[in-house]
Amino acid sequence: MSAVATAVTLLIGLPLAWLLSHRRFPGRDVLEAVVVLPLILPPTVLGYYLLLLIGRQGPVGAALAAAGIEIAFTWRAAVVAAAVGSIALLIKAAQAGFEGVDRRLEQAARTLGRSEWSIFWSVTLPLAWRAVLAGTVLAFCRAMGEFGITLMVAGSIPGRTQTLPLAIYDRVQANQMTDANALALIAVGVVVVLIFGVSRLARLRY
Amino acid sequence: MLSLAIEKRLPGFALDVRWETEDRVAALFGPSGAGKTLTLQCLAGLLRPDRGRIVLDGRVLFDSEAGIDVPSRERRLGYVFQGYALFPHLTVGDNLGFGLRGRSRAERARRVGEVMERLELQGLDRRYPRELSGGQQQRVALGRALAIDPDLVLLDEPLSALDAPLRAQLRGELGRTLREWGKATVLVTHDFAEAYRLGDRIVVYDRGRVIQSAPRSELLWQPASETVARIMGIRNILRGTVIKATPDRIQLRWRGLTLEAVNSPTRAYLPPPESPIAFFIRPEYVRLIRKDRGAPDPGHHMNLMSGRVVAEADFGTTVALTIRLDEPGQPAQGDYDLEVEVPRLVYEILEIDRDRRWQLSIHRGSIQVLPA
Repeated sequence: MSAVATAVTLLIGLPLAWLLSHRRFPGRDVLEAVVVLPLILPPTVLGYYLLLLIGRQGPVGAALAAAGIEIAFTWRAAVVAAAVGSIALLIKAAQAGFEGVDRRLEQAARTLGRSEWSIFWSVTLPLAWRAVLAGTVLAFCRAMGEFGITLMVAGSIPGRTQTLPLAIYDRVQANQMTDANALALIAVGVVVVLIFGVSRLARLRY
Repeated sequence: MLSLAIEKRLPGFALDVRWETEDRVAALFGPSGAGKTLTLQCLAGLLRPDRGRIVLDGRVLFDSEAGIDVPSRERRLGYVFQGYALFPHLTVGDNLGFGLRGRSRAERARRVGEVMERLELQGLDRRYPRELSGGQQQRVALGRALAIDPDLVLLDEPLSALDAPLRAQLRGELGRTLREWGKATVLVTHDFAEAYRLGDRIVVYDRGRVIQSAPRSELLWQPASETVARIMGIRNILRGTVIKATPDRIQLRWRGLTLEAVNSPTRAYLPPPESPIAFFIRPEYVRLIRKDRGAPDPGHHMNLMSGRVVAEADFGTTVALTIRLDEPGQPAQGDYDLEVEVPRLVYEILEIDRDRRWQLSIHRGSIQVLPA
């Protein structure tokens, strides 16, 4: 679920990061502020507004419900929650990475006949991949740990929308400490393996 | 044939230039921050001028009134950036072939091979830019631009990234390469020697404007103004007063002396009497009069003056003497009046290290007047 959320995050986050790092347009400052909002707002507040948006009566939720897609309190809501909670980390890291790419390299590519799309894939991304990777890992970990928003919009339905942190919380509440312990260890394991693997990767040059 | 007229306003700077060239290499020359690189960026379509028109060989690249703005990738210009901007994550071969996307693999390989051979880069195709010397990097940058067979090559300070000995060597090499490929070129430099060596035409920039555009020899001998002369680094730029000007001679007063100069043969300059006038005297064209040949002959020696050497600078093969004239009053250039350059041999024969008082003469053809 975190992987799906991270994929969604990449899909939306990279174009936004590119936009923020490469274009000056009206409303850019507003967009930049909106992007970091999920980091600053209390998760429950965020979850509350998200619920208003994608709940059955919400504008987005109603439209999707008409198309036969339920979001609130399904696994999709958990994905949305994780993505919303983590996208800022990816956007900020990727934006910094993109801004760190020498602008003249992109200009050179432009004079050599390449389109903006081609420049992104052949110059910008290959030179900023470390920052993007770091942002992705952060976002993934954050997505995995997402708690407040998920609880608000997806609930904690065992086997359906119960994410790892919610499951741990449940077990602790029920005083099933052995289960909680095992789950917590899994979380720690995943994160450690991820961070270790990534730092190995980042040592490669390009 | 390239003709260009652009206006571009930036915070704290305004570019307003127009020039054209039919010469093979046009050198944009001027101090840093004069707008040369900005012009190159406008030419390449990396920066959009506020107003203007750019036409290359009959092809309109930009025309604000007609609403034409050909995007960079379609302009077919080979831009060599300052510092080269090679792609650090790609090999030499991939850098050279970067602009050849869309052609067949065989065609790309053939083209890259040809460029490598002509620029003497054989055997380096698997290397990365950071593994190359400065000269090799420059050739790769040039090769990457030439590989796309551009209609015009743009070079931004191609030699400034190198240290002095290598720079002199690569200047010659670059000149040869440009001649061999025969591509029309616009070059940006703040070094007059570089502009003169590489450029057929020199366009002089100052504070966002063009103050002279001329074939290089014309510029060297007839700078259009005092500002141009100063930017070129010409020494002994002096100011006097006009006594009389005719189409072939100008008489002027300077430091209490009457000097006679030749008027410009191509564009006579006729300032009214008593108006201020700027002129320059090349240090290597001032003659010291030998004392063992009798008194100076007024028919042979014109613009006579006398003074003493107050300082000297040894450049190895030549010695620059700074001379203060005997006329009373403030010296023209701080604590001296004239800088005179003599070959080392002359310095030794005349025993200038011992003998500091000299009579000087300057041929009237060696005093260049500068139009106001």
